[in-house]
Amino acid sequence: MTVLRRVLTRLAIGIGVLWGAATLTFLAVYLIPGDTALLILGGPDARPTAETLAQVRADYLLDQPFLVQYGSYLGNLLQGDLGQSYRLRLPVSEAIGQQIGATAALAAAAVAVALPLTFVVAILSAQRAPWIRSIVSGVEVVFAATPTFIIGFALLIVFSFTLRWFPIGGNQGPAALILPALTLALAVFGTLSQVLRNELEDVLEQPFILTARSRGMRDLPVRIRHALRHAAIPVMTMSGFVVAALLGGSVVVETLFSRQGIGSLTLASVYNKDLPVILGIVLLSAAVYVVVNLVIDLLYTLIDPKVVTA
Amino acid sequence: MGLLALLAGCAGPAGSSSVAAGEPIPGGVLDVSISAEPGCLDGHGISATQQQFLGRLIYDNVVTLDENGDIAPYLAESWDVSEDGRTYTFHLKQGVTFSDGSPWNAEVLGQNFEHMRDPATKSPLAAAYIAPYVDGTVIDEYTFEAHLAYPYTPFLYTLAQSWLGMNSGKAITESPETLCQKPIGTGPFTVADYRPGQSISYTKREGYDWAPEWLDGDGAAYLDGVEVTLVSEPVIRHQSLVSGQYDLTENLAPQNASAVQADPDFTYENLARTGNPYVLNFNLNRAPFDDLAVRQAFAAAVDTKAVTESLGFGTYTPIDGFLSKESRYYDPTVEGVLTHDPERANQLLDDAGWTGRDGEGFRTKDGKRLTVEVPTVESSTPSPLLVQLQGEARKVGFDLRIIQLPQAQLTELRYAGDYDALAGVWHTNTTDVLFIRYHSSEITGERIGQNSSYVNDPELDALLSTAREADDGPVAEEAYSKAQHRLLEIVPGVPLYENPSQFAYANTLHDVAVDTSHPVPVLTYAWKAE
Repeated sequence: MTVLRRVLTRLAIGIGVLWGAATLTFLAVYLIPGDTALLILGGPDARPTAETLAQVRADYLLDQPFLVQYGSYLGNLLQGDLGQSYRLRLPVSEAIGQQIGATAALAAAAVAVALPLTFVVAILSAQRAPWIRSIVSGVEVVFAATPTFIIGFALLIVFSFTLRWFPIGGNQGPAALILPALTLALAVFGTLSQVLRNELEDVLEQPFILTARSRGMRDLPVRIRHALRHAAIPVMTMSGFVVAALLGGSVVVETLFSRQGIGSLTLASVYNKDLPVILGIVLLSAAVYVVVNLVIDLLYTLIDPKVVTA
Repeated sequence: MGLLALLAGCAGPAGSSSVAAGEPIPGGVLDVSISAEPGCLDGHGISATQQQFLGRLIYDNVVTLDENGDIAPYLAESWDVSEDGRTYTFHLKQGVTFSDGSPWNAEVLGQNFEHMRDPATKSPLAAAYIAPYVDGTVIDEYTFEAHLAYPYTPFLYTLAQSWLGMNSGKAITESPETLCQKPIGTGPFTVADYRPGQSISYTKREGYDWAPEWLDGDGAAYLDGVEVTLVSEPVIRHQSLVSGQYDLTENLAPQNASAVQADPDFTYENLARTGNPYVLNFNLNRAPFDDLAVRQAFAAAVDTKAVTESLGFGTYTPIDGFLSKESRYYDPTVEGVLTHDPERANQLLDDAGWTGRDGEGFRTKDGKRLTVEVPTVESSTPSPLLVQLQGEARKVGFDLRIIQLPQAQLTELRYAGDYDALAGVWHTNTTDVLFIRYHSSEITGERIGQNSSYVNDPELDALLSTAREADDGPVAEEAYSKAQHRLLEIVPGVPLYENPSQFAYANTLHDVAVDTSHPVPVLTYAWKAE
């Protein structure tokens, strides 16, 4: 019962988050200076007639006051209609639908690289000689702090331009996925690994670890079976960071590697002030965030039932 | 280097379509990278530069410009122009079909004109080009009469541009909302799959057999298909071409030009686009550029050749006039009229009363600094062109300020005329570009005009009107020549360099033709050797 209640509360909060995100973004894009109708018609180099301009304003309610535009947007949203893209002239759900697969594949590949890397490095480096820790931690800091663009470009120069092991860009085949996924993964690993190691080191000081060791358990099994279970929870709490890193990173990575996806769509939409698409992407990101946090929340209860009562 | 650039710039289409190495080999898919993607593939609904290249794959036009730049038959076999220049009778080619199976005929031509100017199409360009079109009459199945409000000789030229390609009449009637995503033309390829922001796959159209004569080929295309991918980073575009990932790239960055040129495995093309070259246009409506002397001073202050050389890594051609050298009726006597002369610039500014100097060394008049605001679209690094101009202008005491703005805001400012100068280009295949850019009726009002300099000169207006109404020939030539000289007297801006079309392709690709309407690759009869 408590679990069900917990889920329902979280869902209610989630819907609130979505509504808030939609409203704030709507307001933000609405307030960006510049005439959207002129932009829809091709920017400064177009020669549309006043009649065409009026038609565009009417079609997209741009001649209406804020509340009418906002009300119409929310009303359509409740009916599951995200609206029409100004630039692509097709439904937003379709515009996003076309791109989501590519970004999901990229994010999944990045997580598939980042998580094992994080766990292996953190488990092996916790409580080791200071020089080992300094080197590992130094590498992590570099990956965590260097802009994704630079990491991606460095990988491109080495593995594509020079060694020619991987294609330089595009979406064709699994080989084209490796460098972009690695770029995203390294940034995530850089942060997560540091957190996990610190937690592991705390846990390894606990009395129950000493008990386990005194029973003659070898070092690695102690780390994996006993310490990791406790240390993993703070790392899971950081899933929000991971989602943000993957979504934000995809904008850079997809542009750099000329990949299809939500990231490139975001960039093009912001540039073109394509409000319906921007709102659609924000809602999607917020929804992913809400769902991931809900799932993680439920996972806590499986890993450590004490969390529920806490 | 400068000479090299000039030679490259002059190498016309003739030097480009390489002599066929043996018999064409049918088959294969061509991988192409492009720098930007229009978001919509219906030429009537967009103004994107890439349309001229992309449109040639799927659309045919009513007429074409042949290898000499003369109007030639395409989907119209012939046409008559009435004595008063206001009625065009098109005799259409028979047996042409769109890829949805519907026929090409007089009714469809009329539907296309209506589609271009229908406000629902939201046309930023095509509608303006056919603005004088009043209505049309279907005389019989293959004869169409177009009525114009006034004589407008550029009509045929604009009809040869890919933005005015012919759409399926069936699609226009039944599903106009699908034209952006899945345009239906009569061209050599069809759109198989369009992923906005990523790629466009084209498939060869079986049974195609109505290519314009200048393409010198018959029947369907040799390539099975064309795969166009958006690669927005110039470095990546260059590297992925050289590594063999793509066969051809559009918009090759000038900094990579010499490397590609030196590589025997690639062909590099650097062709001037006809129309208005790259110009820093002044706003004649307000101070300080409402003063002719200040405009002349600015033009004399800029070392156009140095700026051009540095910007284009030696691949750009500087220009002295307001019309591209490749344009019809270009008058070479405009060369050398506006010259780099800092001494004269200083003298002009002194005479105009800008005699003071402030703490930073900028000129002042009545305590006001000689400031020039030039808005441009926001980017991570300021426009290299404007930075160069800033440096040039500073030498004689101008404070050129680069204002970076989001595209939407820049557009609004442009519409409102709230700027001192704007850098830009307008490429088109008709000398009527001078009308579009500098005739007083093209000042923003009823439509967003491209006379962003706010030139309002009765003498120039008269010359440009005479030229567009006259048939091709001596009357037009004389009027255009006088107009080019009149512009040098008004100085609505500083002409900088020819707007180039730079592209490159692997030498395994043969018979790439080049359009004279806008110099882009035409792939109808191109083929790949393996």
